Amino acid sequence: MSTTIKIKHLNQYYGRKQALKDVSLTIRTGMFGLLGRNGAGKTTLMKVIATLLPKSEGTVSVCGRSTQSAGEVRKIVGYLPQEFSMYPNMTVYEAMDYLGVLSGLGKAERRERIKELLERVNLTDDRRKKVKALSGGMKRRLGIAQAILHDPKVLIVDEPTAGLDPEERVRFRNLLCEIAEDRIVILSTHIVGDIEATCEDIAVLDEGSVIYQGTVPDLVSMTEGKVYSAQISKRELELLKKDYIVTSMLTLGNNVMARFLAEEKPFSSAKLCEAGVEDAYMYLMHMERGIPE
Amino acid sequence: MFGRLFVKECKQTVKSLVYWVIVLILIFDFTSQLGDTEIARKPEPGQEEYGYKSSHDPELIMKSVLGELTEEYYRESYTTYPIGFYKNVTLNEEDDRRIAGILKEAAGIDGREAAGQMVEDWYALQQETGTLGAAGEEIHREPLKVDPAEGLTYERFGELMDEADEILGGGSDYCKEYRENSAKVAMTYEDALEEYKTLTEKDRLTGGYARLFSDYMVIFLGILPVFLSVTRGLRDRRAMMQELIYTRRCSSFTIVVSRYLAMTVMLVLPVLIISLVPYLNCVEYAQRAQISIDNLAFVKYTFGWLFPTIMVVTAAGMFLTELTDTAVAVLVQGAWWFVTVFGGIGRLGGGMYGWSLAPRHNTELNWQGFHDGFAQLAANRLFYTAAALILTGLSVLVYSQKRKGRLKIRGKILANRKSKSEA
Ligand SMILES: Nc1ncnc2c1ncn2[C@@H]1O[C@H](COP(=O)(O)OP(=O)(O)OP(=O)(O)O)[C@@H](O)[C@H]1O
Ligand SMILES: [Mg+2]
Repeated sequence: MSTTIKIKHLNQYYGRKQALKDVSLTIRTGMFGLLGRNGAGKTTLMKVIATLLPKSEGTVSVCGRSTQSAGEVRKIVGYLPQEFSMYPNMTVYEAMDYLGVLSGLGKAERRERIKELLERVNLTDDRRKKVKALSGGMKRRLGIAQAILHDPKVLIVDEPTAGLDPEERVRFRNLLCEIAEDRIVILSTHIVGDIEATCEDIAVLDEGSVIYQGTVPDLVSMTEGKVYSAQISKRELELLKKDYIVTSMLTLGNNVMARFLAEEKPFSSAKLCEAGVEDAYMYLMHMERGIPE
Repeated sequence: MFGRLFVKECKQTVKSLVYWVIVLILIFDFTSQLGDTEIARKPEPGQEEYGYKSSHDPELIMKSVLGELTEEYYRESYTTYPIGFYKNVTLNEEDDRRIAGILKEAAGIDGREAAGQMVEDWYALQQETGTLGAAGEEIHREPLKVDPAEGLTYERFGELMDEADEILGGGSDYCKEYRENSAKVAMTYEDALEEYKTLTEKDRLTGGYARLFSDYMVIFLGILPVFLSVTRGLRDRRAMMQELIYTRRCSSFTIVVSRYLAMTVMLVLPVLIISLVPYLNCVEYAQRAQISIDNLAFVKYTFGWLFPTIMVVTAAGMFLTELTDTAVAVLVQGAWWFVTVFGGIGRLGGGMYGWSLAPRHNTELNWQGFHDGFAQLAANRLFYTAAALILTGLSVLVYSQKRKGRLKIRGKILANRKSKSEA
């Protein structure tokens, strides 16, 4: 059986608004990162794969099953929505148990899986807490646990790291990587660091179109030799911003350590740096929009 | 999967506030209406009165039906129940003339003035004999009786009344079914004893009381279930849990039907428990009076009479909530209930069940009426059961479409409202 998600020429509309434009992607086992700014269409794409939205045009097949036969796809997909909650008056355990029944798990199976998963997302001590009493981060962790409850072949997580503390974020990434060892995990985010640390393959969406698809190293190599840093004064920074894409800066007293993109060495004090994903992402986004004059 | 889900849904219902409010209202309904009902005593000779019963004497029927027609004709306003629902009819000139013709042939009353005279005379007489209170409020009204025209046969009377009923659009006091029950006479001791015998022998006591119980419970069961199904339907959205459920493998049929079944079962449960009270009263009375009772009567009536109402109200609420994702079902059911309760007011005594959502039978007696109206009642209950099943099926369909992101009616309603308020 196929273990890839194949999306071909997918167009998606909300009324007259086109949210996805001719998207074609092939997603294989492992972590797949979806990157893009707010409103780029990440959630829309994920919902189409999770059968929550009917595709307008094109074909989407999940491990050989068309999203048209939603029942078949649901069996093998786990989904963590960007915004969600659970019945507020249920305890953590009850909510998991309820969803476990809906996933068709038997009693013993549920008991075992829930125990194991709550352990994994660090919620064992909170299993008797009511859902309404959970913090945002705890709710997210519960969300990931429910998404993998039925051991799905495909896991779709929509901005799962939003609102997590740094320690949890790292734990979370590691958890996703473990899960991704033998299945497809699609992760959307606008935090470049998440992708850098975990994903091999990524796609970047902008205004509904795929503007990059490939591996993280390939993306980074696009900006190889184009990333410079320089220590300049605050006044000079304004000028620099006009001509170049500044990807980060660090204030040092009256001066600023700026990191920016340039096709060739712009001035003598600028030093060539090793490119990072963040730089590459900024480069990509601005290529699409045109580099500022 | 279905069984486990059903149990979980039942537990959820038990934990919801609205459920307990419903249970409290049912208990309140029961205690305030039926709580201190005394089980019928065997009538003793020499009582002051024994109640009233329908008479089948043609002469008496003609008198009272013509009295009714005279009064309604004079007031130019007719009460009808075309499909079991109350309707006030006023006639155009031509139809008014036709009724006048009928009245003339049947009772020799010529024109509105003559009719008015009869009504006023009767009214004055009522006041004189003290059956109307000083302020004119009715205390105990002896209905107007009008003698039929000389030589009018009962057969011709029937034809004329059928015609009047047709002019009024059907369901009036003049149609066959109603007019034959319109003449009331005081019961004698023998009559009362006969009624008592029917109650204890034909109905085996509990049958009569189960009907009376159904009569009171059915009113509230015509509205309360909608609150349960609307809160259940909206709970997923409010808890932001829809997508978590939608993406599970469980079929829409299993999800919707298990919810539906859980709600109806949890609604019928308190009714069954409450019915233990009148049942035990009956048991106690039966022991003293040495009569045998039907131990299952309350169960039979709960499922035969009340459950179809629970089913259809729950299903209608569920369907509208799934369809619109709003609480609009409460409004719809409220209107339906209002029409049912106030439309049924003239048909409380039993035997005339029509197509009412909440068929009434406001007496432990009148087994005969129940017996005669049974076919209609059975058709009525089957109809609502079928309607409930169809609505449940439609809910499954709507749910499965919503799961796939189709049928976003709520979004459309909201967008509509927005664009209207912008305009
Ligand atoms: N239900 C909807 N109706 C109409 N337009 C929508 C709807 N949902 C999303 N859109 C539009 O579709 C586009 C893509 O939205 P989407 O939610 O997929 O973006 P996203 O990449 O997930 O953004 P974010 O990072 O903010 O979550 C946006 O322009 C958005 O306004
Ligand atoms: Mg999104």
